[in-house]
Amino acid sequence: MDSQNQFVVQLKDVHKSYALGETKVHALQGVAFDIQKGDFVSIAGPSGSGKTTVLNLIGCVDIATSGDVTVLGQRTGELGDEKLTALRHRGLGFIFQTFNLIPVLNIRENVELPALLDGSDIGMPKKEQAEWVDHLIESVGLADRMRHKPAELSGGQRQRIAIARALVMRPPIVLADEPTANLDSATGESILALMKRMNREFGTTFIFSTHDQGIVDIADHVIRLKDGRVTENRRAEPKAAS
Amino acid sequence: MILARMAYGNIFLHKAKSVLLGTIMCAGIAILFVGNSLIDTAIGGLRRMFVEGYTGDVMVTGPTSFPTTIFGETAGGEEVIPHIAKFSSYVERFTSDEDVAAALPMLSGQVAMGLGEQVIGRGSAFGVDIADYRSFFSGNLTLAEGSWPAEGGQSWIIISEVSAAMLSRAAGKTIGPGEKIILSALGDTAGTVIREVKVAGIVKFNQSSQELARISLVDADTMRDLLGFASLRDGTVELTPEQQAFVSDFDPDSLFGEGAATGLFAEDAETAAAVPALPAASTATTATAATTASPEPAWQFILIKLAPKANARRCIADLQAFAKGMEQDDHVQDWIAGAGSVARTAVTIRFVFYLMVTIVAVVVIMITMNVLVVSISERVPEIGTLRALGARKRFIRRMILLETSFLAVIAGLAGLVLGLAILLILRKSGIKAPNLFFEAIFAGRKLVPVISPMAGFNAFLWIFATSILSSLYPIALALRIKPVVAMQGE
Repeated sequence: MDSQNQFVVQLKDVHKSYALGETKVHALQGVAFDIQKGDFVSIAGPSGSGKTTVLNLIGCVDIATSGDVTVLGQRTGELGDEKLTALRHRGLGFIFQTFNLIPVLNIRENVELPALLDGSDIGMPKKEQAEWVDHLIESVGLADRMRHKPAELSGGQRQRIAIARALVMRPPIVLADEPTANLDSATGESILALMKRMNREFGTTFIFSTHDQGIVDIADHVIRLKDGRVTENRRAEPKAAS
Repeated sequence: MILARMAYGNIFLHKAKSVLLGTIMCAGIAILFVGNSLIDTAIGGLRRMFVEGYTGDVMVTGPTSFPTTIFGETAGGEEVIPHIAKFSSYVERFTSDEDVAAALPMLSGQVAMGLGEQVIGRGSAFGVDIADYRSFFSGNLTLAEGSWPAEGGQSWIIISEVSAAMLSRAAGKTIGPGEKIILSALGDTAGTVIREVKVAGIVKFNQSSQELARISLVDADTMRDLLGFASLRDGTVELTPEQQAFVSDFDPDSLFGEGAATGLFAEDAETAAAVPALPAASTATTATAATTASPEPAWQFILIKLAPKANARRCIADLQAFAKGMEQDDHVQDWIAGAGSVARTAVTIRFVFYLMVTIVAVVVIMITMNVLVVSISERVPEIGTLRALGARKRFIRRMILLETSFLAVIAGLAGLVLGLAILLILRKSGIKAPNLFFEAIFAGRKLVPVISPMAGFNAFLWIFATSILSSLYPIALALRIKPVVAMQGE
């Protein structure tokens, strides 16, 4: 496999502008980088640097004003709503800053939710799917809370469930927007450790944004942004071709 | 399954919204259920009373341009309803028509009743063949006094208990069987026709209202004379020896005396010669005598009882087409038109009720829609998250529809139970008619509502449809929520 095919995300000269009243805000100005399969990537930078905008574009929940965003080989600017939804569903997992669990569903149902949308499945028999869901919940250390509602869990526990949910469809990429922002530092560290473990265990590419310099160093690929521009694009160690 | 779990869970999660919408839906269903049951009961009672006692299911009348009531009134204002010219053709048709269980010919008009020169009452009179009438409305007549008149006998009248009491009060003496009273037609189409009839009996109409309780039954030929159909009698005129002698000895010139030609009536006589101004009955006599040796007896109405599975609308359409096929303008109508203002008022009340329900439904839709819009705006992050996780728009649409449907079903069942409880209480006590108007509408002094499963089902369906309609705009708003909002936090 050549290096070109190992890129799960490619951004080329990406611009993104917003209209804020009568003012035009240039959130991204010519951003370009590639992310390799299996990378544990940190998109770092201060508030307002464009981290979330980059994640939005990679996550196919927003479209660039100009430039190319290619996710899993598909140029997102050329896809309609249905295809973008399908790409998000099959190709991407999401971990949100505010967890975003569905309050009326219990923990197990929340984890299984992406596999149940519109009758979709993970491509495995029901029994195996159930075992896979249980395995994920056990992996994040909450096997004893399966029947609990999200409101009955702590912030850290909720984020663990969000990680399990992000992995249930076995997506090649998991995006995490400031996953530790709403957690105390110890819980934040354990969440990042869990993400790292999942990255190694399942070979899933993790891309997370943070403004905390302390947790940037856990990443093996750091992309630093400032004022909508890439100021650093550094790999901690070269990836061996798989 | 996950949709159902989410929809069910959301009803209990958003309690305030659910209670508000549930209460509106529950009240709506209860009101509709009770209202429909009351109206169905009233109209059902009226229908039973008229169909089984007075009008039959369908009526054919002589050619009128407007609906005609069984009391001989037309919306077109005709003085007398014309007779059915091709009566025997209908009779022939009915013998082979499986939809027609029975048919009864009838005449109807308003008459004044007198004793000597004193008018003691007035009201509706039906000209009938009493044997046929009793057979057709077998459950509605009970003989209280006297006897049923024999076929082909003298001119007779059967009065109701109510009429007997009123006539007796006006006459200052008891009017009962054997009494001779004078009938004259109200209205002047037939000229001044006066007939003496003998009271054969007094009857009780088992199903009646104030208006119906005063109907009198008169032999058909007397009624024909009164209505101006004297030439179209069923039998020959039988005169008493005194009447025979009077007719034989009658000299018209004696009315005018010797100076008639040059006196007071000279001008009138000339005019009469120039413009024949004979009463309608005489005209009919002359015309009929010239064209037909044996004319069909005149009947203004044919009342029809339908077979149990027959469709009244189809039957009316078929008969109307049959009349047109004979080049007749006879009118075919249902019992409501025949029953007149009472039934029309009940049907109008039902229409007004539905109109009010529609207006209330619009208000309910607006309230429900607003509550759902607020609910959607509170759930933007949740919907955004679902979209980000890969939920298609149809998943969101189904989720909201299912939520509304669940709520409608739960509230609907509660509303049906509430409505049923109200109806059971009303059934126990009954609703007393506060005045004669309501007595007519209720087809009695008390309305005891019938619990109609169909009314409950319709109410449920109405509210269900209303709630689904209410959710269409909120769904459109929900579908506009972009997945990017999930990244913006809760």
